[in-house]
Amino acid sequence: MAPSPEPTTAGGRAATAAEPVLRASGLHKTYHGGMLSRGGAVRAVAGVDLELYAGETLGIVGESGCGKSTLARMLVGLERPDQGEVTFRGRPFFTRGGVPRDIRRRVQMVFQDPLTSLNPRMTVHDIVAEPLRVHRLSPNARAMRDRVGELLTLVGLPPDRMNRFPHEFSGGQRQRVGIARALATEPDVIVCDEPVSALDMSVQAQVVNLFAELQSTLGVALVFIAHDLAVVRHVSHRVGVMYLGKLAEMGPAAEVYGAPAHPYTMALMSAAPVPKPQLRGRSRIMLAGDPPSPVAPPPGCRFHTRCWKATERCAEVEPALEAVGDHFAACHYAERAS
Amino acid sequence: MSEAPVLEIRDLHVTFTAHGREIPAVRGVDLTIERGQTLALLGESGSGKSVTAKAVMGLLDQPNVHVRSSVARLAGRDLLTMSAEERRELRGSGMTLVFQDALSALNPVLSIGDQVGELFRVHRGLSRKEARARSIEMLDLVGIPAAARRIDDYPHQFSGGMRQRILVAMAVALEPDLIIADEPTTALDVTVQAQILELIDRLRRELGTAVLLITHDLGVAAEVSDRVAVMYAGRIVESGEVQELYDLPAHPYTAALLAAIPDLERPSSTLRAIPGSPPSPASVPPGCSFAPRCDRATGMCSEARPALRLLDTGTGRRAACHYSEEMLNGALA
Repeated sequence: MAPSPEPTTAGGRAATAAEPVLRASGLHKTYHGGMLSRGGAVRAVAGVDLELYAGETLGIVGESGCGKSTLARMLVGLERPDQGEVTFRGRPFFTRGGVPRDIRRRVQMVFQDPLTSLNPRMTVHDIVAEPLRVHRLSPNARAMRDRVGELLTLVGLPPDRMNRFPHEFSGGQRQRVGIARALATEPDVIVCDEPVSALDMSVQAQVVNLFAELQSTLGVALVFIAHDLAVVRHVSHRVGVMYLGKLAEMGPAAEVYGAPAHPYTMALMSAAPVPKPQLRGRSRIMLAGDPPSPVAPPPGCRFHTRCWKATERCAEVEPALEAVGDHFAACHYAERAS
Repeated sequence: MSEAPVLEIRDLHVTFTAHGREIPAVRGVDLTIERGQTLALLGESGSGKSVTAKAVMGLLDQPNVHVRSSVARLAGRDLLTMSAEERRELRGSGMTLVFQDALSALNPVLSIGDQVGELFRVHRGLSRKEARARSIEMLDLVGIPAAARRIDDYPHQFSGGMRQRILVAMAVALEPDLIIADEPTTALDVTVQAQILELIDRLRRELGTAVLLITHDLGVAAEVSDRVAVMYAGRIVESGEVQELYDLPAHPYTAALLAAIPDLERPSSTLRAIPGSPPSPASVPPGCSFAPRCDRATGMCSEARPALRLLDTGTGRRAACHYSEEMLNGALA
């Protein structure tokens, strides 16, 4: 997809009147272990703010354990934050009665593994029709059938196969079923958690292109969460980089990838394997060790234990997400783009 | 290249029998790896790359699996005429396997020292004390901090990257001729993946071991391999020197794969997706397996299966496509 430059979202500095579709502010989520857990609480997400505007794709990258899946689940209301708030067009998600039904309808999710997120005992028709039934969007069985056929056509599946079961489809086709289900309620926002990482590489591109196409035809806003930097770069207008439950950097894709300001983003870009043998032997930033456990995140800047720029100040004072050029980074020594 | 290759496999076939049906997972694969060289075996899931690795290791000795090949030699020793006992001795000392998932490859109830030390005790007959000392050396070599203190820890006490380092330590411990690394970094994070790939590459240079790297990641293969063999539906469809193969693919599948992955530097408007999905090993189309998804396919492709043949590039390039010459000439023109 050509991430078309969108003035309203460009710098993340929403200097316009446009209201975000989805806004998260100060999200925190901590999982407390059961009686047998020795480690203590896992601080999965520790203070994330973001805004999603109509028709844009916000990519979130990060390594395992950085909290990106927990963030995704909070953004669709599957998980209630301990602190902070998610709002849809200004209306809070988490009310006393749970997430209001009409908000649920407008914010949908596509999961990573289509085999485990589709009920194996339901036909594709029933899977895609379920949201229609729950939200009472079809007056009768016939209309529902027609609508399911329409949705399957939209995601590139032959509608005459709607009476089959998920196992009769290939991995890429199953993911299309998951996407059709998410589209059934005509959502304004779809949150995709690693939507292509379970797919074969020759099939990934089909699904990535499908997302792009759907966005340009339906204008739906996407939150695209993945660990594959190149895929996220390809689909996103803006990108957020997460490390241990926090955003390390956030901004327009071209800025974050072209001129990363946070050392972690630099290291991540530098470590990603590139399918170009001629680039071998380029100087790369090699981080030492693994990411620390989210059970006991380091004090100060969470990245300071692996950072080559770290000083004493980093171990003590936690940097805030601040503007650096056209984007935002949480580092005391962020490279100020020239 | 007068020296005999470390690994030489000719015409390897692996057939599984399930519910009375024969499923040919590998259908005639040739592999040659020279000393100190890394060969990447690149393929998608179901292409037969992991089965190939297991067959080479001799780990498919089961009643419902049929493995045959015309030549199988490791460092000049014939694997076909060897007894099961001799072959078992070779595993762990002559050739070793690094698995994808370190947590399930390590025994959770034995300490790391016991597991690494076992290699020295079983294969080299060292005493417990000597084995322990050598184990600490190995863990040092692969960059485990404070190895002497951590030797009595159990696998769950290490992070994912550290566990993978322990597997690598076990793989190189007895200085094998060949290391087979089956998706060694797929379960790891990007920053840790880079560390492990660099570690394997450093050990290959220092010890002169040959490496067979099984991967589905075009990026990983480009970073560390000398030669690449691309597998599709149980066969090698193209092989050659890494740079040449990436620059000028001679098989449409390789070309399509390279075009289908997004480029970090040049985000284009749409990715050139490959239509359809890979065939199931149980029902591979006749003729060229890739023909139904190929944009160059003609009537000939669905009838006559192209053999993997040497192209006259003078660089040992092989491809199994009727139109390889056109592809190479077309790219140059």
